[in-house]
Amino acid sequence: MNKIEAKNVDVYYGAKQALFDINMDIEANKVTALIGPSGCGKSTFLRCLNRMNDVIDICKVSGVVKINDYDINQKDTDVVRLREKVGMIFQKPNPFPKTIYENISYGPEIHGIAQSKSEMDNIVEESLRKAALWEEVKDRIHEPGTGLSGGQQQRLCIARTISIKPEVILMDEPCSALDPIATAQIEELIDELRKEHTIIIVTHSMSQAARVSQNTGFFHLGKLIEVGSTDKIFKNPTQQQTQDYITGRFG
Amino acid sequence: MNKEERLIKRYKAEKRFQFYGKAAIFMALLFLVVFLTKIFSTGYTAFQKTWLVIPVNYNADLLYLDPDKKPTTEDINDADFYEFGIETFITLDPDASEDQIMELKKMFAFTFERELKYYLLDNPDSFGKTVDVKLTASDDLDQVFKGNYPRDIPENRRRASDYQLKIFDKLNEDGRVISEFNASFFTNADSREAELAGIASSFMGSLFSILVCLSIAFPVALLAAVYLEEFAPKNRFTDFIEVNINNLAAVPSIVFGLLGLGVLLAVFGLPRSTPLVGGITLSLMTLPTIIIAARASLKAVPPSIREAALAMGASKMQTTMHHTVPLALPGTLSGTIIGLAQALGETAPLILIGMVAFVNTIPGTPMDPAASLPVQIYIWAESAERGFVEKVSACIMVLLFFLIFMNLGAQLIRHKFEKKWN
Repeated sequence: MNKIEAKNVDVYYGAKQALFDINMDIEANKVTALIGPSGCGKSTFLRCLNRMNDVIDICKVSGVVKINDYDINQKDTDVVRLREKVGMIFQKPNPFPKTIYENISYGPEIHGIAQSKSEMDNIVEESLRKAALWEEVKDRIHEPGTGLSGGQQQRLCIARTISIKPEVILMDEPCSALDPIATAQIEELIDELRKEHTIIIVTHSMSQAARVSQNTGFFHLGKLIEVGSTDKIFKNPTQQQTQDYITGRFG
Repeated sequence: MNKEERLIKRYKAEKRFQFYGKAAIFMALLFLVVFLTKIFSTGYTAFQKTWLVIPVNYNADLLYLDPDKKPTTEDINDADFYEFGIETFITLDPDASEDQIMELKKMFAFTFERELKYYLLDNPDSFGKTVDVKLTASDDLDQVFKGNYPRDIPENRRRASDYQLKIFDKLNEDGRVISEFNASFFTNADSREAELAGIASSFMGSLFSILVCLSIAFPVALLAAVYLEEFAPKNRFTDFIEVNINNLAAVPSIVFGLLGLGVLLAVFGLPRSTPLVGGITLSLMTLPTIIIAARASLKAVPPSIREAALAMGASKMQTTMHHTVPLALPGTLSGTIIGLAQALGETAPLILIGMVAFVNTIPGTPMDPAASLPVQIYIWAESAERGFVEKVSACIMVLLFFLIFMNLGAQLIRHKFEKKWN
């Protein structure tokens, strides 16, 4: 079943076109990796899926992006409700300069998910457990989240995102600021999260794409060159450009 | 030139550069030391006040009161202490001529009537007895006692006559001239007599002006800054506004004074000489300073925090109110305090809206006429009496203390509430 369907998506930054006619289907409860050289538009495409491009004044998006068969690019789409369903993890861990507890309780609070203090405590603990962070921080959840290490901060951001139970989680190079051990922990986590969420991950590391994803899309110069199962893309790509990128001839 | 020589030259250039830097700092400190030394050496005597302790006979006949009955408060209030005072002064020199009696009177502040009366009210038991009473010396003798008046110049160029000095020296020998902390400098309003003039009116005037200024400028500036920085589209119109806010910050303060005069007083008919009008005028001046500080602090909040909140499904306003503004508040507050400190030292606009008037009452609300500290300095600096010279310096000290206090507050807020990210 397709969770997300993108049809004829074009993106412009001012006069410069960043994405050309992207058509891509994303399967539910799978990890889809977006790979490609720097500046190829994979992050831009990712940001189309929760309308984060709205933040950029000069950015114009056209085309259809359907999530659960609903076109999110309509004028009257409520972006607040969209982003409640489609969470996002950023390249650099960006916890709020508040306590660990407040970082996680923020989402449920603004969306009115928890009815009582004990319910909120449960959500915080459950989210931290799912992000494999609970054991490390359970004694200091009222200390600042910014005091954690880089890998812990990124898992805190993941816990923050899953606290409101989004259906889709977008990850924009979530491990690029982390060391190999923290990266391994996040990758393990991604595989776990896939049971409940649909995950789309942008990555620079082809080995990471191969390790964590079931499907892969290859972007080059704003175009989606090839998309398919990760196995097929890495072992038997149909396009020459994909072949060249995978084997390290460019990028 | 070989490599070795070039290296030596480079080291020398660096040494020279550091020396220039140190010299510059030394110059700045030197100016500060000279300035502060001058102020303190001129002004510290203003915190001391000279009193003459003279024997006073609270004789019933002299006061035209019934000697057999203890006088009530009303009796004392109705009694004539002027004549009584003159009679008392004559006891200092029983042979005094008419002219000399007037000179004796002028040795004391004109409040001697009140001082004699209040002593009796506070000590009803002294009725019918002779007691020592402390009376404020005139500012001329005050200055003589503090050594600010040379005594060796011809009498006709001196404000204290030979006769007054003779009596004064005799009192001094008897230990009847005392110098005490000048509390009235802080509790009295302005006065034409230097020995009685105080800063209470101008201090309250400054305080009220600053409060009015803060309560108008801060919310308006914060809202303007938040809207411009977080919500307004970036286009030519907002650029135009930004340029004009920066221009506004550079407008000479006297222009704002004219605006206050022309609009607040003339058009809206607000009461002149009041801290209300002063505060509104100052808030116009402070507004751009706070807007610029607030915008700089908002800009300094990393965009990743905004993205994090937006990606959590927070609306634009929630993102701003829950995250951006609280993080920008310490910087905004310290900018506000610096803007207020600037407003506190402002003189020109206040003179134009009439806060330069002679005010001898202490204002109770921002709607009462008042002076302000810098304007008080200006008024006193224009006065001829020697007694006001030290007051000017003392008033500057109070103003400086106020400013240092505010700037320390700004530093404290910055250090205490500044949040670190990553």
